Amino acid sequence: MKFYVEPLSKCTQRLGSLSEIESKPTVNIKTPAVMLHTQGGQIPHITHEVFKLVSRKSQILQIPLAGMHTFKEAMQYYEGTISSFIGSKDSLSCLTLQDPCNITKQGHHSTLKVPIWTKNGKVYYDAKSYMDVVESFKPDIYFLLSDGDTNISSSEKRIAKSVSNTMNFYKECLDRHRKSDALKHSFVIAPIVGGYKQISRERYISFILEDMKNVDGFLIDGLHNNGPEAEFLEFNEIEPIVRCILNKIPTEKLRVVQGCWNPVNIINLVELGIDLFDTSYCHILTERSAAMTFAIEITDQTNTYEINLRDSKYVDDFQPILIGCECLSCTKYSRAYIHHLLSVHELLGPILVMIHNVYHYLRFFEKIRSCIQNNTLQTLQLSITEQFRNHQKTK
Amino acid sequence: MTTKSPLVFSILTECGTSKARVSRMILPHGPVDLPVFMPVGTQGTLKGMLPEQLEELGLQIMLANTYHLGTKPGTEILQKAGGLHKFMNWNGCLLTDSGGFQMVSLLKLAEITEDGVRFQSLNDQKAEVMLTPEHSIEIQNAIGADIIMQLDDVVKTTNPDKERIEESVYRTTRWLDRCLKAHQNPDTQNIFPIVQGTLYEDLREKSAKDHIERDVRGFAIGGLSGGESKDDFWKMVHLSTNILPKNKPRYLMGVGFAEDLVVCCALGVDMFDCVFPTRTARFGCALTRKGQLNLKKEQFKKDFRPIDENCPCNTCKNYTRAYLSGIVTVLPVACHLLTEHNIVFQMNLMKDIRQSITKGKFPDFVRDFMLQVYPTKNYPSWIIDSLSAVNIKLK
Repeated sequence: MKFYVEPLSKCTQRLGSLSEIESKPTVNIKTPAVMLHTQGGQIPHITHEVFKLVSRKSQILQIPLAGMHTFKEAMQYYEGTISSFIGSKDSLSCLTLQDPCNITKQGHHSTLKVPIWTKNGKVYYDAKSYMDVVESFKPDIYFLLSDGDTNISSSEKRIAKSVSNTMNFYKECLDRHRKSDALKHSFVIAPIVGGYKQISRERYISFILEDMKNVDGFLIDGLHNNGPEAEFLEFNEIEPIVRCILNKIPTEKLRVVQGCWNPVNIINLVELGIDLFDTSYCHILTERSAAMTFAIEITDQTNTYEINLRDSKYVDDFQPILIGCECLSCTKYSRAYIHHLLSVHELLGPILVMIHNVYHYLRFFEKIRSCIQNNTLQTLQLSITEQFRNHQKTK
Repeated sequence: MTTKSPLVFSILTECGTSKARVSRMILPHGPVDLPVFMPVGTQGTLKGMLPEQLEELGLQIMLANTYHLGTKPGTEILQKAGGLHKFMNWNGCLLTDSGGFQMVSLLKLAEITEDGVRFQSLNDQKAEVMLTPEHSIEIQNAIGADIIMQLDDVVKTTNPDKERIEESVYRTTRWLDRCLKAHQNPDTQNIFPIVQGTLYEDLREKSAKDHIERDVRGFAIGGLSGGESKDDFWKMVHLSTNILPKNKPRYLMGVGFAEDLVVCCALGVDMFDCVFPTRTARFGCALTRKGQLNLKKEQFKKDFRPIDENCPCNTCKNYTRAYLSGIVTVLPVACHLLTEHNIVFQMNLMKDIRQSITKGKFPDFVRDFMLQVYPTKNYPSWIIDSLSAVNIKLK
C-alpha cells in the first residue's frame, strides 16, 4: 500500500490517496477520508450488506481491538484475514486499540502494558501479546501498541510514563513487524504520545525519527480519552499541540486522528493537514437519536444542525430527515415513522438514523475534498461554524 | 366494469395423497403463493430488517399487531400517514390480528362481556381499556392491512369448562357479525373469521359451520397454539380443514415450528404465522432442517462453517458460526443477521413444500424432511398418526 499526498507542507490542507494495495490493486481511497468505525467487526446497526445501500465505494473499516478480544482465540485458527472473518472481505481493515465511542477509563496502568477496555473489563496487552494478535488478524493497516491515556489535564508523571511505555512498544512492535511474513504488506501507523506537553511530544518524535523504516503513517494519540466528550473539545486548546507535532514529523506520511470530533473541528484539523478520521461521531449521534442535518451545499434546504428524532414534535411529521438528501432513510421513510420506531425501541429505528448519519458524513468528506481541490475550504468552514454556533445558541 | 374482489383464490395443484394443495391468493397489494409462512412484524417492522431487504428475499406477506399499533403510533397517525403500508414503506401484503390475543397475554384480564373485552392496563394509571369488535375493526381499518381478523372470544385449550367454551363459540360468531357490520373497507380489506371450540369436536364443527354461512373469503383456525397436547392439536386441525370449504384459504394461527408446518400442510392448511423464528433469532438461535443451533454455545467458537452450507442467505454466504457466536446477544446487528437467516429458512421450507406438491412428490418430501429431523426414525406418535390420517406413511 502506498500513500501519495500533496502539497508536502507541514501544516496545510492536502489531498492524498491510498493505493497500490497488494490484495486489492484497483482500490484507491482519496484523503482526507474517514474510516468506518466498527464494534465487534460491525458498523453499529448496519450490516455489511446494508452498508452497500449507503455506498458502493471501497472503505477502510476501523477495527478497535477493544471490541475484538472475544475473537482472539478463534483468529489463531482461522486461515483468512480479519476482513473476511467479520464478513467484509472487500473492505480494507485497520486494527486500532480502544473504541473511540467509549470513554477509555483512566488509570489502571502497568509498566510496559496497556489495559484494553473490552466489554468484560480490562485486558492487558504488552508488545508481544499485541503483535501476536496483529499477526493472526493480518490487517491491511494497523496501529502499533501505545499508551495514549493522556488528556489536557494529565500530570507530568502520567505523560512521562506514557512516553516511556510507548517508546518500548514502538521498538518491540516494529522489531516483530520486520520479522513477520504475515504482515509484510501491512501499512504501519505509529502513535505519537506526550499529552499536551510540547517537550514530551518532541522528545518522543525525535526518538522514533531515528528508526522510521517500515513506518507509513502517524496517529496523533493522547489528545483525549475517547467517548462522547470528544465532540465538545475546543479547537483552540488542541491546536498548539497538534501544530507542534505536525511541524516535526515527515510530511509525506499519513496523519491520523481518532475520536468523535464535531464537524467544525474536522475541518479545522483538515486545514492543519490531517488525512484520516473515523465515523465514531455518527454512532454517538445515533445513540442519542440525533440525525445530522447541517447544510453541506449552500443549496441544502435546512435550518437545523441536527435534529433529535425522539422529540414528540416529529410524531406526525411526514417529511424526510433532510429534504433533498438521497440516502435510503430520506428517500423512503419519514421522520414520523422513525420517531415511532425509536419510541417503541425497535431495531429498525437506530438503523435508519445511522444510515442517514453515515451517508451525510461521507458526503461531508466528499465536499471537503472538493473544496480543497477548488481552494474553497474556508467558505465551507465559515458555513459549518456558523451553523454550529446557531445550534449551540438554541440548545 | 366490475370491481375486482379484494381476494382472488385459485388452487393450482392438489397433492393426490394428502390434503395438501398449492394455490395462489391475489390481494390488493399483490399475490401470495400458498402454503405460506407469514413472519410477524409486531410494531410495523420486522426485527431490524429493511422492507427493501424483505422484498429482495421475495417475502410477499407479513403480520402486524393491532394492539401495539393501536397504542403506538395510534389510529390518528396511521390515518394521517395513509395506512401502515405507506407508514412503514412496505409494498407487499399485510395481515393484522384483532388485538384480542395480545391483550390476553400482555394485560391483566378484567372481564369478558358480551360487549367486548375489558382489560386493566399494566401502566401506572391502571386505566381500563375496552376492546370491542367495532373498535378492533376501526383500528384495523386505519392500519389498512389486506387481511384483517375478527375479534374473537378466545379461551385457552387447557380450560375444561365446556359451558364456557360453548359460550365462546356462539359469542365469536356474534362478534363476527358485528365486525362485518362495522367494517368500513369491504372492497380493499378481507375479514377472516376465526373458528373456535378448543378441543371439543362438536363445538369446533358448530363454529366452522356458522362461519361458513357468512360472506367471507377465507377462514382462520384459532385457539390451537397454546398448551394443548400435540395429539389433540392435530386432530382439531384435521377436523377443521375437513369442514372448511376447499375453495377458500385456511389460516392456522400461531403455528411455526418446521415440523408443525409440514404436518399441517399435509392436513390442508394454507397460511401460518408465528413469532418463533424472529424471536429465537434475538436469543442467538439459528434454524436448520436438522434443528436449532444455539450459537452462544462454546462449541461454535472455532466452527468456521456457515450456519447451513446449503442456505443461500447473506448471513450464510458471508459469516461463520465462529464469528456469529461472538456477536449474538451482544451486537444489535447479530439479531438482524440471524433474523434474515431464519426468515429465509422458513421461506425455503415453504417453497420446497410447494414445489414438491406441484411435482406430485409431497409424500416423498415429507418422509425426507422427517428423516432429517429424526435421523434415528424415533418419530413422535402424533406425527406418525397425523400423517397416517392423510395417507402418508412414515417408514
